Amino acid sequence: MENIMLPQAHKILKVLRETQAEYTFRVAYDRPTAYNQFFQLSIPKIGEAPISISGRGVGYLEFTIRKTGRLTNGIFGLGPNDTLFMRGPYGNSFPVADFEGKDLVVICGGTGMAPLKTILNHFYDHPAIARSVHLITGFKDVNAVLFSDELAKFAQKFHTIYCLDNMEAPGFHQGFVTQYIKEIPFADFADYNVAIVGPPVMMGLAAQECLANGAQEDKIWVSFERRMSCGVGKCGHCKINGTYVCLDGPVFNYTKAKNLFD
Amino acid sequence: MTAINDVAVQQNRQQFYLFLARLYEHEVSPALLRQLRQLTYPTACGEVTLQAGYDQIHTFLTANSHVDAIDDLAVDYAKVFLAAGEPKGKAAFPYESVYTSKQKLIMQEAWEQVQAEYAAAGLALVTEQTDIKEDHIAVELKFMAHLVRTEASLAQQQIFLHRHLLNWVPQFCQDIARYSRTTFYPGVAKLTLGFLQMEAKLLVTADAPAPKPPSYALSYAAMDQIISQWQEHYHVYAPKLMASRNPDQPELVRFGEINSVKEIVTDRQSDFSAKEIYYPIMQTLFYFNQNGCQESQLTDDKDIILFLHPCDINALKRTDNIFLKNGGNEDIYYKRLRDKLKIVLLECEQSLPNCFCVSMHTNVSHNYSLAVRLGTDGVQVQVQDPSLAAAFSGMQPSQFTPKFVTANKQKAVLPEINNTAELKLAGHLDYWHKFDNNCIGCGGCNTVCPTCTCFDTTDVRYNETSPDGERRRVWSSCMLDSFTRTAGGRCVRKTPGANMRFKVLHKVYDYRQRFGGSENMCVGCGRCIARCPQDISVLDTINEFHDALEKAKSEVQ
Repeated sequence: MENIMLPQAHKILKVLRETQAEYTFRVAYDRPTAYNQFFQLSIPKIGEAPISISGRGVGYLEFTIRKTGRLTNGIFGLGPNDTLFMRGPYGNSFPVADFEGKDLVVICGGTGMAPLKTILNHFYDHPAIARSVHLITGFKDVNAVLFSDELAKFAQKFHTIYCLDNMEAPGFHQGFVTQYIKEIPFADFADYNVAIVGPPVMMGLAAQECLANGAQEDKIWVSFERRMSCGVGKCGHCKINGTYVCLDGPVFNYTKAKNLFD
Repeated sequence: MTAINDVAVQQNRQQFYLFLARLYEHEVSPALLRQLRQLTYPTACGEVTLQAGYDQIHTFLTANSHVDAIDDLAVDYAKVFLAAGEPKGKAAFPYESVYTSKQKLIMQEAWEQVQAEYAAAGLALVTEQTDIKEDHIAVELKFMAHLVRTEASLAQQQIFLHRHLLNWVPQFCQDIARYSRTTFYPGVAKLTLGFLQMEAKLLVTADAPAPKPPSYALSYAAMDQIISQWQEHYHVYAPKLMASRNPDQPELVRFGEINSVKEIVTDRQSDFSAKEIYYPIMQTLFYFNQNGCQESQLTDDKDIILFLHPCDINALKRTDNIFLKNGGNEDIYYKRLRDKLKIVLLECEQSLPNCFCVSMHTNVSHNYSLAVRLGTDGVQVQVQDPSLAAAFSGMQPSQFTPKFVTANKQKAVLPEINNTAELKLAGHLDYWHKFDNNCIGCGGCNTVCPTCTCFDTTDVRYNETSPDGERRRVWSSCMLDSFTRTAGGRCVRKTPGANMRFKVLHKVYDYRQRFGGSENMCVGCGRCIARCPQDISVLDTINEFHDALEKAKSEVQ
């Protein structure tokens, strides 16, 4: 019988420094995954935590990690050729197939862009499959900006609004992402989807703002982040009402998400 | 009581089995669809699940045109039952073997068993459909129809129903609901489940000459002799007095190894539940070394005989659901110990002060290898499991069947939550704030609960420089303020009141919603009531929650 709790060793191929506190780790991996599924990443003798895929390529996956606790501190101490332990992929992903042929709105805050990056790249690489892509992404300040190269790339093909919470900078407006949602021409869309990932408060406010601007509830998708010790529906940490975020999420349609309460 | 011997009742039962069998055998044909449309659907049949099934099917038929329905149902049938166009496993495969074999394969043990039973009845399967095997649901339903038609003994019907339908169909029906894209097949699933549950009740209430498992009367000395025989191959655990870790505290009743049934404590509920036997407080998952991870192994070859009251046997079903079913995967650490268990039902002499098992429908269980009554003049034993029968050969036969308590001193009135709006109301009652200044978040209630399964993992390094270490899992508790804390310090539930609401809703609502059916997670054993240092009673909490919710509902209207 397969032991689902047993992690496998994977080689780190490359470490990309995004900001002072956020690095992207490229890890050798060659089995199928769906866009923003997550893995339980671990370092022996330190611990384990769920991290979403932020990039995919032939023979590798990328995880963009913020240095924020014991495990992530440990991971930041690793470099190319070191070993990262992983098990997964777990959870669902945004329903990308359903996004195709329609207008797509992506709203993210901070590291929330990480799980949406694979999806943005999918539409960047195949511009014909979406009618339009609107991307609003916000960071705290210039030092917190992630994926600068990709932001520049996306600006060429997508309608983009980049913003910083409390400062202006070349290419960035000042303000929160929620202030710019009114720029999205929901009324002109025949059919569309909205994907939102960021801190919980930001996701709630962004969804509210979309609704206020004429978006329908069932067109909005959000992704939850919870403490997890297993990722496979046993440890109980991520349960909300009768829903397990690891099994039934982390991506939820807003019609479901709005009824979940912790 | 329904007159089970009534000819009309017999015919209806037989027809219903055949009707259900037809729905699973192949997709709905135009002729069948026309028939389905012409039927009059009951509007108040009296059985909740069955009625929900009728309603769903009726709704589907009225909402879809004939042509649309034919196409949609053909696609859905192929998707749900044949996994057409679906990744592996995302289907409700209609074979008992798939649900009962370890590897979820067709044509396993269950398939051989039903073939044997058909053969014993002089039947063999003849079909041109290659996907129909002997343990296909349609064939098993038809065999039930056959048993009804040939007036096989009610005991025989009951045995087949429990051994080969009710053992897997509830989960199968859940899978149908999960993977279907119409409301028709989930309706059929409800119809099936509702009908089979009704059958189970009907067959139990009929005074059937059920084949009675053998029972024996023994002296205490003879029973202890048998225990010592068992100890060659088993650890024998039962609730007994054990020293508290604090020498100043009185002895606790916990599950420990016994040498004599006289050690078993029956006049008070054990302080701790039996879960520590099959789900230890701390377990090593695997070892780290330079080469990677190595799964921990069980070093003890012995199996386990465990004496449990009915509430705790029912609790096992709850922990099985979490560890073996939730998410469609099995936890090997739980399974490897669970597979060792043989259960001895310990008859309750009386209902104890904190018990409310009757309200939770956990006062009865028939899932045991042996049932035992520890009487004043000796021990009575009923043997259901042939593998434990040998020790009793030659003992004095008796008429013993275990009795179950039918009333407790206290009752739990469960909150009625019928829809999302009521759930939201239930979750946001002011009532929960009561616990903010009351509950100290010690987690004692979770520790003694036989159905709490949550855990944390923690890594251990043997020393600073060694590459060796291990990952362990340790019981966790949703009442601790750290339960939802993520790196960086964010918690989604921040107060004892919120934690209490989370726990209580899980115990009396969320679990039932997730796994379907009528079982709640809480089994009413009352251990958490005795354990709480703040004298918070989960029973009072359930009842007060019910009242607060009813009040809130009436205010909304």
